[in-house]
Amino acid sequence: MWDYKKYLNRIKIQSIDKIKHAEAQIDRVLFLNGTPTIEPIPLSIGKRLKAMTESDLGLEHETVGRAMQTRARSCLSMVSGTLVGTPGVCVVVLLIWPFCLMLAGCTGASLSAPVFAAESGHRVLTPISIDYPEDDSIFPPGITPPTFLWRDAAGTSWSIDVTFGDDSAPVHVISTGQHMQLGPIDPDCVSDSNAPPKLTARQVATWTWTPDEATWVRIQAHSTKAAILKITGFRDGNPWSQSHITFTTSKDEVGAPIFYRDVPLMPSIGNRGVVAPLSQTDIHLIHWRIRDIRKPESHTVLRDMPTCANCHSFSADGKTFGMDIDGPANDKGLYAVVPVQKHILIQGKDMVHWNTDGKVGTVRVGFMSQVSPDGQYVLTTFAGPTLNRLTDGYYVTNFMDYRFLQVFYPTRGILEYYNRATGLRETLPGADDPAYVQTDGVWSPDGKYIVFARAIARDPRPKDQFPATHANDPNETQIQYDLYRIPFNGGKGGTPEAIKGASNNGMSNNFPKISPDGKWIVFVQCKNGQLMRPDSQLYIVPANGGTARRLRANTRLMNSWHSWSPNSRWLVFSSKARSPYTQMYLTHIDANGDASPAILIDNTTAANRAVNIPEFVKIDPDAIDQIEVHVADGTQVESPRNEK
Amino acid sequence: MQQPLKKRYAFHKPRYVAAVALFAIAGVTLAQSRCAPPDSMKDHFAGKPNAASLNELGYWFGEQKNYNCAVQAFASSLQLEPKQKQFSVIAFMLGVSLYLTGDTKEAIPVLQEAEESGYNDIRIHLLLAQALDETQARADAEIEWRAALEIDPEHSFALDHLSNDLISDTNDKAVIELLDTPRIAPLRTIQQDTNLSLAFSRSGKQNDALRVLRDSVNTYPDSVQLTQQLADVLTQSGSREEAQTVLQVLQARQGANSESH
Repeated sequence: MWDYKKYLNRIKIQSIDKIKHAEAQIDRVLFLNGTPTIEPIPLSIGKRLKAMTESDLGLEHETVGRAMQTRARSCLSMVSGTLVGTPGVCVVVLLIWPFCLMLAGCTGASLSAPVFAAESGHRVLTPISIDYPEDDSIFPPGITPPTFLWRDAAGTSWSIDVTFGDDSAPVHVISTGQHMQLGPIDPDCVSDSNAPPKLTARQVATWTWTPDEATWVRIQAHSTKAAILKITGFRDGNPWSQSHITFTTSKDEVGAPIFYRDVPLMPSIGNRGVVAPLSQTDIHLIHWRIRDIRKPESHTVLRDMPTCANCHSFSADGKTFGMDIDGPANDKGLYAVVPVQKHILIQGKDMVHWNTDGKVGTVRVGFMSQVSPDGQYVLTTFAGPTLNRLTDGYYVTNFMDYRFLQVFYPTRGILEYYNRATGLRETLPGADDPAYVQTDGVWSPDGKYIVFARAIARDPRPKDQFPATHANDPNETQIQYDLYRIPFNGGKGGTPEAIKGASNNGMSNNFPKISPDGKWIVFVQCKNGQLMRPDSQLYIVPANGGTARRLRANTRLMNSWHSWSPNSRWLVFSSKARSPYTQMYLTHIDANGDASPAILIDNTTAANRAVNIPEFVKIDPDAIDQIEVHVADGTQVESPRNEK
Repeated sequence: MQQPLKKRYAFHKPRYVAAVALFAIAGVTLAQSRCAPPDSMKDHFAGKPNAASLNELGYWFGEQKNYNCAVQAFASSLQLEPKQKQFSVIAFMLGVSLYLTGDTKEAIPVLQEAEESGYNDIRIHLLLAQALDETQARADAEIEWRAALEIDPEHSFALDHLSNDLISDTNDKAVIELLDTPRIAPLRTIQQDTNLSLAFSRSGKQNDALRVLRDSVNTYPDSVQLTQQLADVLTQSGSREEAQTVLQVLQARQGANSESH
């Protein structure tokens, strides 16, 4: 009985397989605008198992034989004149039959491919360079159709075939190829101090294909198991080149929109020759936007600010929003904390005045501030009570090279927290040693401990130091941070402990972000300073320390400003991989902390603007419609609703 | 802290004073020479000219592409006020002017002087490197190319020339370190790809040479040089069929291009 059951199961599996083959054939006929027909054939079943098996085998032999004859006839009919009937040619034709079958779904012109193959013998196809997506890429479900990129010396048209691991019918498209294009330019951000975006030689040689919405939906639906994208280049109807990559669509939703800053790159020289990252008159060009990756465009929530606003953070539940806002006279000592709602109104009463001396100062006493997960506290880097000037605690240099126009990092500072309930700001013991600079503090998801960057405190500009003239100039003040953690302990702090894997490794470890599930820290590693350096790379380390691993998602240039999705499965970050004008990317982080190659979030801004400080926010994509700021000097800023 | 490029060279003499001696101490005032200032500047030279007016004149001659006179003006300025605030800039301008007159050997020490006095613009490194290459001082040229790349690691001109020098030195390891990086790879020129694949080939890394060339041909499909190099490496690797296809692709492209013209 046992053997019969096993046999029965086997027959069942085979029959299901045959049904799938039939479905695939029907799909193919439909794809060719044909009408599939099903005709029953006489059945010979057999009464005993042996007879059944022999009958099935006979049927299989007959079918295969018939198919081979048909294929040979078909292919031979394609072979012109003298070649018909030549035995050697038939062998070649039969060998290349699978390719014929694939071409059967193409246009008539493509059917000449076997002819060429027969005439030339076995042509080795040259490899196509598929640049995007990279092999093993993982797309988030619902993301808008990506633009596939490849370079190919041989082809003048391309067959694009996506086959799926779930055995569903493949997607087949013929593309004549569109050259890579730059996106639209914002005329307000064209300046003598920057250069218009320009395609590199490689990008000029790049061909593109963007699936239509329906095709992409179909691809996503069937690629939760690995799918294979195969591109074949054709010239004069013959195949010359080919390559393939594998990709999947994750079952993990991104699950939250991204709040980000959209800025021009227009360094300017002031009256006294001082370089600024943006002239005062152009600050209004900075926008804050929200992006739902399922939508093709972003939604602007704040613009036309008369003063600079910088780092923002939301509480874990998405109910509280905090943002650095410079006050009058370039006062760096203000921070806004407000509830998240459709129409956010920031007024004087919402401002935290980090400057406690009552003066309108220029000392940025709040830096890299972070709202606690429960929204009750704001953690910040306080420049320290002994400093009188911003430049005493921060190394800041601005360059006229718009590609990397600013370098900044604190060289002195302690962590403090602001208690919204009491309105008091207090130092955090364990992160308050003036012998060190302590910065970049972030909360664990349960609010029980703090991870921060620490280095030995130093003068930001030692005497006789030559001024740095470019990013990563050896004349920059050198500083390398290590990551530490301390308990928050109700504000009592504790003893700081170096995080193994993110400390004492000869590099600067900074800008930590703890995953919402509490398992991982992703941080920036670079040679000097912090955050948005040309050599910034993202690393992942267990939250309690361990071996740090470089994320596979790292691109060739500047990887930073990262933020975790609420489900801890996606990371958004900024990079200059494709253009000096920074763009946003996503990477999937699996349960083992392994990251997938970077996925571009398309159309986040104009081609001559940069996007940075992206942050996943646990809100509905349309939860914030507008942010209105009544800044300290009384100027009211209203953003147009739903302005793009 | 860094004092850039101080004492990097084996030779430092003669410095700008040699140029001054050659061009300025001839006892001929500028006003009397064929390098007379234009009417718009004659007021500045009515009495004894100062360094600022000489510098202005030097720039003016430079704009007129009269580099011999620019040399005279800048050299006179430096002789008149050797400790002027703009010393490094004017020394650089003197070096540029000398180079543009074709006097490369004289330009080099002047540019070195400008560099040592703190002028750290990428242009001085590029110019000095090129001048040193022209005088076959390749080791010193390499230092200058690297100094330029410290400022702009993606500078294609510097990458082209430094990799050329390293290839000439058969320093294949350095070529690979220079060009086979994620940052540079998508930006490599034909020259860089050629040099990198050659370095790989000479290092016995045929697969890496093929990787570079196959990708490069897809970026520069009409490059005969790259295609032939790829076909050569493929043939050496026993992939004659692919070599044949690669050459057929080039032939087909050339045919198509000539038809379109």
